[in-house]
Amino acid sequence: MTHSLVAANILSRPTRTLISILAVGTGVILMLIIGGITTGTLNDYLNRTMSVGADFILQPSGSTVFYAFSSAALPIKLADKLRETPGVGAVAPVLAKFSSADFGLVFGIDLATYDQFPGRLEILEGRNSLQGNEVIVDDLYAMSHKVSPGMTVEILGRKFTISAICRRGSVVRVFVPLPTLQQMNGTEDKVTIMFIKAAPGADVESVFRELHRAYPGLALVRTTDPSVLLADTRMPGLKEFRLTVVTVSMLISFMVILLAMYTTIFERTREIGILKSMGASKAFIVGLILRESVIISLLGIAFGVGASLIIRKLITTAFPTLQVDMTFVEVLRGSLLGLLGGTLGALYPAYKAARMDPVQALSYE
Amino acid sequence: MGEGLRGSIETTGLTMIYRSGKVEVPAIREINLTVGPGEFVAIMGPSGCGKSTLLHLLGGLVRPTRGQVLIDGIDIAKLSDAERTAVRREKVGYIFQRFNLLPNISARANIELAKRIHGNGHANLYKDDHILALLGIKEKIGFRPTELSGGEQQRVAIARAVINQPSILLADEPTGNLDSHNSRLVLTLLQDLNQRLGQTIVMITHDSEAASMANHVIEMRDGRILARTHHFVYEPEFEGLF
Repeated sequence: MTHSLVAANILSRPTRTLISILAVGTGVILMLIIGGITTGTLNDYLNRTMSVGADFILQPSGSTVFYAFSSAALPIKLADKLRETPGVGAVAPVLAKFSSADFGLVFGIDLATYDQFPGRLEILEGRNSLQGNEVIVDDLYAMSHKVSPGMTVEILGRKFTISAICRRGSVVRVFVPLPTLQQMNGTEDKVTIMFIKAAPGADVESVFRELHRAYPGLALVRTTDPSVLLADTRMPGLKEFRLTVVTVSMLISFMVILLAMYTTIFERTREIGILKSMGASKAFIVGLILRESVIISLLGIAFGVGASLIIRKLITTAFPTLQVDMTFVEVLRGSLLGLLGGTLGALYPAYKAARMDPVQALSYE
Repeated sequence: MGEGLRGSIETTGLTMIYRSGKVEVPAIREINLTVGPGEFVAIMGPSGCGKSTLLHLLGGLVRPTRGQVLIDGIDIAKLSDAERTAVRREKVGYIFQRFNLLPNISARANIELAKRIHGNGHANLYKDDHILALLGIKEKIGFRPTELSGGEQQRVAIARAVINQPSILLADEPTGNLDSHNSRLVLTLLQDLNQRLGQTIVMITHDSEAASMANHVIEMRDGRILARTHHFVYEPEFEGLF
């Protein structure tokens, strides 16, 4: 009976209900898609960084895991010194540069040193060569840009010839020769980071301690531990960005439900008066309004989650290099926040309805 | 409160003054009224004389400015909003001139809603069937109010008011929106319910024929009780006097 009243009220204003559902759904979509792109991009970075198979990354102190945004501040000669450190097996100096055209990183590497790492480039097609104006791209890049070995592509405003296609999963999708990128960047003897691998049989912890002792002014990060890579101190603004997205999304749900339910209680003033004359308690009336908003929110959440899955599919089809992570926990969190926003939005109208004067409500036309 | 007090109403010095800024508008003035359990009382009087306000006070919908309203010995004027709501839920059933059924749900859902509010959602269906049969709406309860005639809607409203077997029925011009045939039907039903279920009925009416169904008729003017008549006799030529 109360269920049928709630259902009837929802169905009696289909346009209002539909708009509310769409609005709550939009909030959920925002949370899931923007959050998914953020998390996806970050996880992509982490997985790729870890895929190199290095034990450590050496960076200038205060750098972030987004090394693309760090300056080229490490002297390349440091690589030779690092190789002399006891227990160090391989060092690969890298200059990272962000390509806004491809919304991705370009790595300037020395192929010979880079190939010493377990995550060396696995060539699928072409020659394993990286000199002068040559470029190696991964198969996803080749697929999305419809290119193959021998073709010319423009990277960072310069023409490069594709020498090979490597398997996806490497740290970045585009590799150019280190000296070429250094020259393009105007930092001939500088690199952004150094990948370091302990020598076979060496104790990784001892090597870490030794490097840490030898280069106290630089940041040495273990790449085997994603949580260290993800530490908030290394991700400035990420927490705030996520909080902003969540807050805006919740505000949308909150405000739309507030407006919808506020309008509703004025439309139903007489109905509330009738319920009060029948002895309905304030809690009963609050319960009715809240139940209605919860159902609308749940429908909005279902729509939002469904639409997010479709949007994710569309995004990853249109932009294969973009990763949108949508885990069960993130979907659950987005759903709960959407529900919370909707429920909070209904609280004030519900409170107002419960406090209505029954006589005035009964005489409302 | 003893069993013998079920459905008793008593007011002492009952006064209701509405305030609009600095202006005071007295609606009810020092009313002393006693309605015994099982009595059927009609209240008559011109528009604006305070009949509806008196009914709202008896049902605890508003708190009086002064005076007592004893329902089964409980002074509801001294109770909080929530307590008055609880008394209304337990002891009072309302019937309105405009039926006041919830339009978006069926007649059955309207009646069951009353049971749910009362906390009587799983009550014996036999009792419900009995009341529905008495009111002649058993076949109609699947319909929405808008699909029912005025008389049927009012009978559903009566069913909703009596389904929890309140000791007091407050009816605000229950035949005001009905034609003469349905008016007579509804009045007969109210009289029947009063006799069979023993509910106290206080009914506002402008209709002398309706008033003649009651045990007593109270005549009001300017917020006061002018007269209380026993066994008002309906004379068609008096129609329109009130």
